Amino acid sequence: MRNLNFGYGISRPRVINLDNNDLRKSNAIIAEMPELQACIGCGSCTASCTAGNLTDFNFRRLHTAVRRGEYQGAYEEINKCMLCGKCRLVCPRGINTRELIMLIKRKLGDF
Amino acid sequence: MTFFAPFTIPFIIGSLVMFSVLLVKYILWIVRLPRIDKRLILHNIFTTKSLMAVWEIIRESLLHVRIFRINPVLGFMHASLAFGWFLLIVVGWIETIAYIGGEWVPLHGHVFFKYFMPINGITEHIWFFEQLMDALLLIVLMGVGLAWSKRLRSRLMGMRRTTKHILFDRIALTSLWFIFPARLIAESLTAAIYGGDGFLTGSIGTWLSETLPSNILLNLYEPSWWIYSSLLGIFFITLPFSRYMHIITEIPLIFLRRWKLKPTTERKSYDRFEVEACSRCGICIDPCQLQSDLGINDVQSVYFLRDRRYNMLTLKVANNCLMCGRCESKCPVGINLNTLRLNSRAKRRNIPYEGRYRYLRGMDRSSGEGRIGYFAGCMTSLTPGVQRSMESIFRAAGEEVWYADKEGGVCCGRPLMLTGETDAARKMVAYNTDLFRRHNITTLVTSCPICLRVFRESYHLDGIEILHHTEYIYRLIAEHRIDLRDDGRTFAYHDPCELGRGCGIYEEPRKILNHVGHLAEAKHNRRDAMCCGSSLANSVINDAQQLRIAQRMTEELEATGCDTIVTACPLCNKAISRVSTHVPQDVAEVVAKNILN
Ligand code: SF4
Ligand code: SF4
Ligand code: SF4
Ligand code: SF4
Repeated sequence: MRNLNFGYGISRPRVINLDNNDLRKSNAIIAEMPELQACIGCGSCTASCTAGNLTDFNFRRLHTAVRRGEYQGAYEEINKCMLCGKCRLVCPRGINTRELIMLIKRKLGDF
Repeated sequence: MTFFAPFTIPFIIGSLVMFSVLLVKYILWIVRLPRIDKRLILHNIFTTKSLMAVWEIIRESLLHVRIFRINPVLGFMHASLAFGWFLLIVVGWIETIAYIGGEWVPLHGHVFFKYFMPINGITEHIWFFEQLMDALLLIVLMGVGLAWSKRLRSRLMGMRRTTKHILFDRIALTSLWFIFPARLIAESLTAAIYGGDGFLTGSIGTWLSETLPSNILLNLYEPSWWIYSSLLGIFFITLPFSRYMHIITEIPLIFLRRWKLKPTTERKSYDRFEVEACSRCGICIDPCQLQSDLGINDVQSVYFLRDRRYNMLTLKVANNCLMCGRCESKCPVGINLNTLRLNSRAKRRNIPYEGRYRYLRGMDRSSGEGRIGYFAGCMTSLTPGVQRSMESIFRAAGEEVWYADKEGGVCCGRPLMLTGETDAARKMVAYNTDLFRRHNITTLVTSCPICLRVFRESYHLDGIEILHHTEYIYRLIAEHRIDLRDDGRTFAYHDPCELGRGCGIYEEPRKILNHVGHLAEAKHNRRDAMCCGSSLANSVINDAQQLRIAQRMTEELEATGCDTIVTACPLCNKAISRVSTHVPQDVAEVVAKNILN
């Protein structure tokens, strides 16, 4: 009976788990680039991405995850970016995404 | 003959300190040069290049010809100070010889000769030298006067802003301001007491002896020489640590430059010569759009060089520059401002992650076959009209083309370099070089000036001719491989920074546009052209600030009353399209629409 699904169930709050996520770095990133909060998650950055065209790199997913405090593998992933700057040109919210990449690298990397 | 008096001690100490610090600095910098630079020096030192350098030193370090050209009043100020002072030293030296013959005289004996004349019993004055030395002093004093008023009202010099200084500079500057007035007073007092017939010091001396009682004159006499000597001493001690270091450093710099040394993306001790040769004249401030459009006042080249010299450079200042090259094209010392800015960014540690860009291995998305390679560039994929136009131009010319990145390519690497990640950029360079070689192209055409510049400057593509599409298209027209119709429009052409000041391509786009219609020039064009503000080199300014720069630049283009705004860079194109009612077009698009064959 337990497995029977009538379509009325609710999903567990799985997206942001603040018990596990440490938001300190994320907050530091947002403090340095407050405009990031204006992101509407449209995915234009991903759609235009040079690196994303060649690999499974997904910049929108990445910066959304980082903002939520999910840093696992983010640093390695973001190093796929070539800093070409196309994402900044297409962002409808005028977010300085290219600097965001460097900011994330500075905060998550060890330099 | 005696040439010693206690008041000369500050001068002697000052000059000793100055010469030893200068020597230590220059020797250290030369010793630390990379081996390749040392070899260049050895190779070129005994050639006519050294003679050319001497000529340039006379023109630039003494006469300041380049500053004259940019700003005559400012040029006169620099030349009267530098050349006037130089002549004072040389003529003063000849004067001593004229009075006492070939006898050896210590340095301070020359400098303070007027003081030592009565002591050594010389009472007969040579009229010619008296007048000449006074005339030279007057010229220098005029320069000082201009410098004073420059501080007070920099507008007089035709400059909107004048440089802000640090403490060390203030000490040096203040002593410099008063050195020559002090000399005037000391020499006039000497003339008042011992006589003299120079038109300047002599007349003031006569006037002084008539107005002041002689015991006051005698009491002022020694102190006035003390003040003059101390001011010189202070100036000399502060010189190697202040902006006035440029007076001397320009000389070795000109030699090194003539011997073909230049800064690179890696820092090296040669950079110190360039950094310390900056006179902080401030000429680079006015052309900077960050200043004129955004009111940002602490990042311009003069401040950047100052910060770098005193080790106070922040990443934010280093990064806040469009690298448009407008300041570089005006700098009278010819400092490679863009390269220095670039290698300041390279200080950041390169990415420790080894697997970076491993995904490039074995990738090849290119298509087509041909000796001509076309590399659209990342930015061009955001302006697909340019790519399509190039394809139809190739077709019309009957060219067989290999497309490097039609189905997605790898960045040229310049954006990484601009950010200081030179090691990572090398992977892009290696990948693309290998790709071009593998497909045996002999010509590489690109639509993006950013790519063009890095292909020309940082890739080693011997045997492959690298062309911007405007150069390529112009060649097709000149060889009558494509025919164009005159569509009667008026075009205003915007010079992209990387194409114009970066690669020196100004005329090809204009000649092409003149084939299709008329060309209207914006107020600032060619070497003076404005930056669109979207430059990848600047990662600090925000979207609104980029827009403001683009707006000001586009207004000038619109003011020509043109029918169409044309540019030759996809990035400029994007920037203009955001702020203009015009739909900007690329040169390639204009051409493709008007091909007859
Ligand atoms: S393009 Fe801009 S607004 Fe859209 S997802 Fe990317 S960062 Fe957010
Ligand atoms: S800068 Fe990086 S994330 Fe942005 S489009 Fe280019 S490769 Fe993608
Ligand atoms: S960088 Fe050149 S233009 Fe700017 S202050 Fe220095 S010398 Fe003058
Ligand atoms: S390169 Fe351009 S943006 Fe940078 S300091 Fe010079 S004028 Fe200003």
